[in-house]
Amino acid sequence: MAADSFRDYLRVLAADDALVTFDEPVSWDLEASAITMLANLSDSEVPLFESVGATDVDAALAGDPYRGPRSRPWDHLAQSFGLSAGLSGAAYYDAIIDRLRSPREPRLVEPECAPCKDVIHTGTDVDLLSFPWPYVHRSDGGRYSNLHTIVAPDPETEWGRWSSHRMMLHDDALASLLFLAGEQVPNRYYYEYEPRDEPMPVAAVVGAEPAVQCSTEMWIPTGRSEAAFAGGLKDRPVDLVPCETNDLSVPATAELVIEGHVLPNERLDEGPFGDYFGYMNGPRRSMPVFAVDAITHRAEPRVPFCVEGTGVGYGQNSSSTLQTAAAGPDATLGLRAAGFDVGAAVPWRFTSRTVWVIATERSYPGVLHELANFIFTTWGMLHIDFFVFVDATVDAHDPRAVLSAIALNADPDTDFHQFGVERMPKVPLNIYQTPDEKGSADVGTSKAKTAKAYIDATSDQSAADDADAESLRARAQQILVDAGVSPEPFDLLEQRERRGGEQL
Amino acid sequence: MIPFAQYLRGLDGDGDLLTLADDDLADVPPDVVAAEALRASGPAIRYDRADGVDLASGSFSGPDRMQRRDAQPWSRLALGLGLDPDGSFVSVLETITALGPAGETDGPTYDRQAASRTLEGVQALALPQGADDVWPALTLGVASIATADGTHWAPIHGSIVGEETLRVRTPAALAALVDGDETISIALGVPPAAITAAYLLAVTERLAVPIQACGVADDVPLVPTNGGLVPSATEVVIETIVADRQPDFQSDRREAWEHCLESTPLALSVERVIATDEPVVPFSPVGRPLADDLQLTGVTTAATLYHRVNNYWGISPVEWVLLPTEAELGICVVATDILYAGFEWQLANILFTFSSLFDTVIIVDEDVAPTDLGRVLGDIWVKAHPSRDWIFSEPSAPAARRPRYRQDGRTGSQLYVNAAWDPRWEDSYIAPRVSFETSFPPAVREAARTAWRTRHDGATDETDHGE
Repeated sequence: MAADSFRDYLRVLAADDALVTFDEPVSWDLEASAITMLANLSDSEVPLFESVGATDVDAALAGDPYRGPRSRPWDHLAQSFGLSAGLSGAAYYDAIIDRLRSPREPRLVEPECAPCKDVIHTGTDVDLLSFPWPYVHRSDGGRYSNLHTIVAPDPETEWGRWSSHRMMLHDDALASLLFLAGEQVPNRYYYEYEPRDEPMPVAAVVGAEPAVQCSTEMWIPTGRSEAAFAGGLKDRPVDLVPCETNDLSVPATAELVIEGHVLPNERLDEGPFGDYFGYMNGPRRSMPVFAVDAITHRAEPRVPFCVEGTGVGYGQNSSSTLQTAAAGPDATLGLRAAGFDVGAAVPWRFTSRTVWVIATERSYPGVLHELANFIFTTWGMLHIDFFVFVDATVDAHDPRAVLSAIALNADPDTDFHQFGVERMPKVPLNIYQTPDEKGSADVGTSKAKTAKAYIDATSDQSAADDADAESLRARAQQILVDAGVSPEPFDLLEQRERRGGEQL
Repeated sequence: MIPFAQYLRGLDGDGDLLTLADDDLADVPPDVVAAEALRASGPAIRYDRADGVDLASGSFSGPDRMQRRDAQPWSRLALGLGLDPDGSFVSVLETITALGPAGETDGPTYDRQAASRTLEGVQALALPQGADDVWPALTLGVASIATADGTHWAPIHGSIVGEETLRVRTPAALAALVDGDETISIALGVPPAAITAAYLLAVTERLAVPIQACGVADDVPLVPTNGGLVPSATEVVIETIVADRQPDFQSDRREAWEHCLESTPLALSVERVIATDEPVVPFSPVGRPLADDLQLTGVTTAATLYHRVNNYWGISPVEWVLLPTEAELGICVVATDILYAGFEWQLANILFTFSSLFDTVIIVDEDVAPTDLGRVLGDIWVKAHPSRDWIFSEPSAPAARRPRYRQDGRTGSQLYVNAAWDPRWEDSYIAPRVSFETSFPPAVREAARTAWRTRHDGATDETDHGE
């Protein structure tokens, strides 16, 4: 069952017995987050809180809805795109890359056909705090929306630029946005709109359909549109609808849309926040102000949120899953499009926004240096500090195989590059810099630079042709499954049976 | 002491043993099946065979820690050592150490030999031939020889190349203890404590210490053979005479202990084979990820390092030491109290001194659990500053023995990653971890637990980050 809306996606989860509904009242004030953390920690169903008290709007909260099973984090999203459940990482990436190779331009629909316009509030009727924004961790600086799509203008694309920046609520019409210079939308604010003393129109789209949420996590080249790649992902156009108060267009099936402007030369407090590193980061800093002009929403909107900090180590949450399931295939395709012979670019499962694994051929001397520098200079490298290169024959989705490659192949003498060279920018969300090094973060980067390093864990030996060995392995796996061992961990069976990934 | 067959019954009772019959295997070699079971973090396997001895794989290994699991890689071995499989890792390390020369012993005890049936020859065992083998293979054996000092044990593996001939590899130091055509007994299917002791003596290069002076003698009843003493409960004993000390032996197979010390080939002539009535012997898919010999080498090395570093400075700052089989023993992880600035440098370098297996050490804070490799594999990238906490030595260190690079003996750098908090940092610099305990006040935690239990009849899992 493919999903054209967030509600459709929740139905996909329910059909897969991956959703648990709480009908009794649950508070947005830490309680929903605490229950969600328990679900995340135990790799259980996604919780949907139908009755959230003390809010004016009858809204539900969905706790980390994009978190996938630890064994296959992409599994729920795959089904929402009409792909099979149970795909291996490689098969899922192949299927998604095929979809991304065929972007589909969005379709503009009339407002009366857009569910996100069921209820419209503008002007003084706007009340941001009438929705159940969760207070996620008790040391956070405030209540947050942190699983949404920020739509901003882009002169090079008709549909604007989509990206993800968490939002801390301040009052009924003001919020602060975590804008980190180096990322496309913040760059446009800091270096174009603000110098012109011009407000930047934006819309925060909450509860968009999964294809939109996934393309929001992707690093789309300038001149290309996330909206078209979202259409590619779901293999049909995404419906967009014009905003009420600005020229932007937003996904029509979204649960909630907050329209407004990022004000120039205005700042509000942001943070601290329990972040994706698995630690509370701080100190509180000043970030640009989002002034709300309108709020439109569906009847009884479902508001998704992420319990950040639980997607590290063995844990998964929405942000770690979206890195693996969306950013990874997109990056793989991007590197191939740039001419690199890359098998897969996969976020490291234990800290997905800090280190990535790239399986690649070493097709000519110096290719890893060139590949690393290409990535360091063209991607949004504020978050990622490390790349690990492994042979194309190594399954980059298999952390054990990657760890073995590092241990056996990466010579501390020659294969660890750019460690100790502090020349590159870093987000102040990190925990290894001191507060002094982070500084005031005027444009969202630390005062001190850091190193961006890569490890060559490729082998010096050529890979043997192991077709016979693989055939034997597959037969052994079948023997074990026939004897009662769960088929879940076996790679060769599913690749053999589900090659291509399209749902039958 | 738990005999090997009883140990397998214990695994079976815990639902951690899968039994396959000949018909199940078709023509797939057991080592391939064993390797796939390990790769999938599956159960140990017993191979019930119509001809020859029964086999067992995965009996000394376990699941990987790439995901959170109820069992640990050492849980089976803990059961075999008479410990609680869910007990602490440190208790496993300490128990292993006590099996060696550091353990206390009142001298050996003796018992009736369980292997009372004489077989026609070694071929009667019908040991399996691996996918890459020319000859039937023998792995996870314990060699026993007698000298004037007593009995000496060491790991041994090899091939059965004829009716009466074995070609084996065993530590050169063991072979050097005898210089003629003395008898070597090969014990297969020994109690877990006995094979663990043999590995411990090998990785510590203490093969000259007779087992009568080791803690294992207190734990495992013994029986004399024409070689040396072997555990009385041994499933199969192959008594051999050294036929050739420099055989033309081309096998590439190496058990993991051979990364720790020099091994030597021997050609052995089989004199007698005795077995229990229904013998079952372990084997390891040597060279494959998570193989039994790899796990035994890793855990005995970890026990050794844990014991040595905690007896070095007069205090015991180290919580645990781990050589993850997932990293093929090429990385050592240590959890410690950072006593003072620079202590991490001392600790890393003493570990490099005490073991030549690895040249990468990862240091984590003392509160990291040994069962939480997931946190280690996150913290090394998140907490360790890529400029300051990845510390490379000058390139004059000897090459480590486990990695594939610099096998020509060239010197190079060693690396330690300091993923522990800097003791010089002010408390306010140190970011608190996001956990259930730290993120919510008690009343909210209790309300959440209650709400969650109403949906999930079982207990909640509140371990930090899913550990």
